[in-house]
Amino acid sequence: MRIGLFVTCLVDAMRPRIGFAAIKLLGAAVCEVVVPKLQTCCGQPGYNSGDRKSAEALALKFLAEFESFDYVVVPSGSCAGMIRVHYPALFKDDPALLARFTALGQRTCELTDFLANVAKPEKMPGTFQGTLTYHDSCSGLRELDVYNQPRALLATMPGITIKEMVESTTCCGFGGTFSVKYGELSTRMADNKCQHIADTHADAIVGGDLGCLLNIEGRLRRNGNHSTRVLHVAEVLSGMDEEE
Amino acid sequence: MQNTSIQFKKQVTIKLADTRLQDALSRLQSRFVEGRSAVISEIHDLQETRTAAAAIRDRVINNLEHWLVHFEQQATARGAIVHWAETGADVNRIVAGIAAQHGVKTAAKSKSMVSEECGLNDALELAGVKVMETDLGEYILQLAHEAPSHIVAPVVHKNKEEISDLFAEKHHLSRKTGIAELCREAREVLRPAFLNADMGISGANFLVAETGSALIVTNEGNGRLVTTLPRVHVAITGIEKVVPTLEDVTTLLRLLPRSATGQSITNYVSVLTGKKNAEDHDGPVHFHIILLDNGRSSLVGSEMQEMLRCIRCGACMNHCPVYQNIGGHAYGWVYPGPMGSILTPLLGGIEKSPDLPNASTFCGACAAVCPVKIPLPDLLRKLREKQLQRGMKSWQETFPLKVWAWLALHPSIYAMATRIGVRLMRMMGGKEKLLHTLPGASGWTEGRDFPAPSGKTFRELYKRGEGQ
Amino acid sequence: MNAREKILSKIRSVQTKSSAPAISFHLAQHPRGPLPPVPPDLIACFKERAIKLSSDVLETNNRVDVPTLLARYLHEKNLPVSGVCWPSLAGLPWSAAGLDMQSRPAKNSDLIGVTGAFCAIAETGTLMMLSGPDTPATTSLLPETHVAVLDPRHIVATMEDAWDLLRKEHRQPPRAVNFISGPSRTADIEQTVTLGAHGPYRVLLILAPL
Repeated sequence: MRIGLFVTCLVDAMRPRIGFAAIKLLGAAVCEVVVPKLQTCCGQPGYNSGDRKSAEALALKFLAEFESFDYVVVPSGSCAGMIRVHYPALFKDDPALLARFTALGQRTCELTDFLANVAKPEKMPGTFQGTLTYHDSCSGLRELDVYNQPRALLATMPGITIKEMVESTTCCGFGGTFSVKYGELSTRMADNKCQHIADTHADAIVGGDLGCLLNIEGRLRRNGNHSTRVLHVAEVLSGMDEEE
Repeated sequence: MQNTSIQFKKQVTIKLADTRLQDALSRLQSRFVEGRSAVISEIHDLQETRTAAAAIRDRVINNLEHWLVHFEQQATARGAIVHWAETGADVNRIVAGIAAQHGVKTAAKSKSMVSEECGLNDALELAGVKVMETDLGEYILQLAHEAPSHIVAPVVHKNKEEISDLFAEKHHLSRKTGIAELCREAREVLRPAFLNADMGISGANFLVAETGSALIVTNEGNGRLVTTLPRVHVAITGIEKVVPTLEDVTTLLRLLPRSATGQSITNYVSVLTGKKNAEDHDGPVHFHIILLDNGRSSLVGSEMQEMLRCIRCGACMNHCPVYQNIGGHAYGWVYPGPMGSILTPLLGGIEKSPDLPNASTFCGACAAVCPVKIPLPDLLRKLREKQLQRGMKSWQETFPLKVWAWLALHPSIYAMATRIGVRLMRMMGGKEKLLHTLPGASGWTEGRDFPAPSGKTFRELYKRGEGQ
Repeated sequence: MNAREKILSKIRSVQTKSSAPAISFHLAQHPRGPLPPVPPDLIACFKERAIKLSSDVLETNNRVDVPTLLARYLHEKNLPVSGVCWPSLAGLPWSAAGLDMQSRPAKNSDLIGVTGAFCAIAETGTLMMLSGPDTPATTSLLPETHVAVLDPRHIVATMEDAWDLLRKEHRQPPRAVNFISGPSRTADIEQTVTLGAHGPYRVLLILAPL
């Protein structure tokens, strides 16, 4: 299996460790992992702000870089959703491109979905000890049906206890540019999420989308909480979750 | 009703700080979200039923002219008088005309969101007709001179204490504290209104083309009273509310109450066809049905057409995390939440509602519960596209995104720019690895820290063979 | 052009492929959508769902016992013993059971209204009422207590079955078809369901054969 890894712009800039964690996990599942060197951004920020043209241009760039792989794996529900659901929608009036993007989209998976349903590695390398609570990315959940997959993978690790928070599937308030443009509202939504996390008394909050995690961590720390760890599921599963 | 959606951002600040409202909104979760969840499983195959419901709505919208004409023919044959209104002002003029024609002095009204669009009550008062709202929530709003904040539960924003105070002030009776007592008092105060009204005014949840009927779903009984006792009945609704057959409306009826209030069925479903026959003891002598356009026809054949499927259940706003935090009044017009964020710009003018299409994270909770599968986030995105095309977005917003898109299309420059950017941000984050301020992103940093990046990009580390 | 013409021509200008014949076919077929599963014992199903929606249910095999059943119910609940009924029920032995029942439409002062029902729907525990000169709508609406005498053989499975029955027995729907599923209620105050809003406070269903 030849896998193209799309790390996403947020992982590239903010937390490269997540990209390396994904490589480790995919390698452990005996996949050949290729990281196309010119990858940048899936185009979601512009797309969601109403700029179809730039989204189309970035979609075509992505197609050129990733079409040749057996699978494309993405450690982010929102970027994987952009590729699988919205790229075909952008080209719905061009039959040839629509066919290519539809086929590519079907081969594009969020990381935990790929691991749980395709790669199925025998064991997770991670050694996390403690309780964690899982926050569901809206796109991952509603566009890609990602819910059971991360939980099933985490449950295989003996040191982990999963404590479900109330309303784990409610939006954390990130929403890309929404988090800046409607900051007060976004902060309130993040605050609600932080309250639900606090109520679980979990050692860590874990999720599959870095945008959500940055938003949640930002509010936790501003609230004075420096103890609850904020981790990407790839970091926990791969064992690359030590404090930096 | 006046469109004040331009004030959205200011209203958000006010509503977030309103603790009484926040307390009231917390009830949405248990009553509406959990309520819906408990009964929606009664539908054998929910996805199949939603697909069928969407197809029923599309069948009508795709052939709207002929379904409307058939409805009109059937209704007229049974003795109803069908009127057509292009605008809300036209509706008001027609109803005032009907009232004048029949010497109407008082009207009893059951809930109609379309009448809110028109500002009907105020227009009738000016024409010398006293209008009594009879739906308990709408009656409370009438006493308080407030607008509804939810299309199904109009006073969700009020608590019991506020209503006790209001009744005590307006009814001049002893102050009641129990909910049952308050309901009993409202019943007794309003019963004479039903008995004495010259005219009943209602909406219509659906218009059944097969039989020429207006269909109303209610729980309180006021809908039945208002359409049975007075000698004139006026039903007002939008042109998109036509449904082909009794079977079709039944499929929609399985979804509407479950999606709206967590009920398997509303207490009353009234299918009203034509006027009183000579031998009947009850029913209106004159039955008028007013079909309102008010911008709906512009959506037909457009990329926004799917919005016309809406059956006004309110599930979208019940499940919307934005609505759950600010309530309905912040949206500034009749329709709040996701459906309102689309309808208000479309019916009221996109330039009057710059914020509504943008105040969404596209979480998709609305689309997941919409009984007729309206792709709400996609429609919101299309409105954002329109705003961009018409130059309605500020350069402060469009310029950074244009720069970002350009960089992303130029990988080498992107790599250099990001390497510089992340080093700078890492430095700003200091020992705490947190940025407390971020130029151009005060919307974030006013309420949150920004975790510092690690200081190197993935692409540079991967290139150097590091980090593995 | 009047408003009707303006609105319709606007729609017509974008819907060039629409047609009248298409609607005739659908109207003639009036196909059903997806149906819910309804347990085969319609009477038990109807009773269970009606009770769930806060109706009271009594049963008898003898129609003449209906007044006695009602009298006992009213005494138990301390309710008045006079009311109005539909003409079709006037022949029952009301006064023998100690009840003063007048055969006329309800007025505001009437506290008990006794009706029959066209049929009942097991799917939701619902009564289907047709308005008419002998079936006045006010009897089930104005009084605080609504009593419906229902033949259990008139319980159908789904709402679609009810519409088919209406089509079979009547040429067209009457002025008002009302589905009634229990006492009137509201949840407008703090989203707390309260029984007895503007319509009846209580609904008693008496299953008795015709």
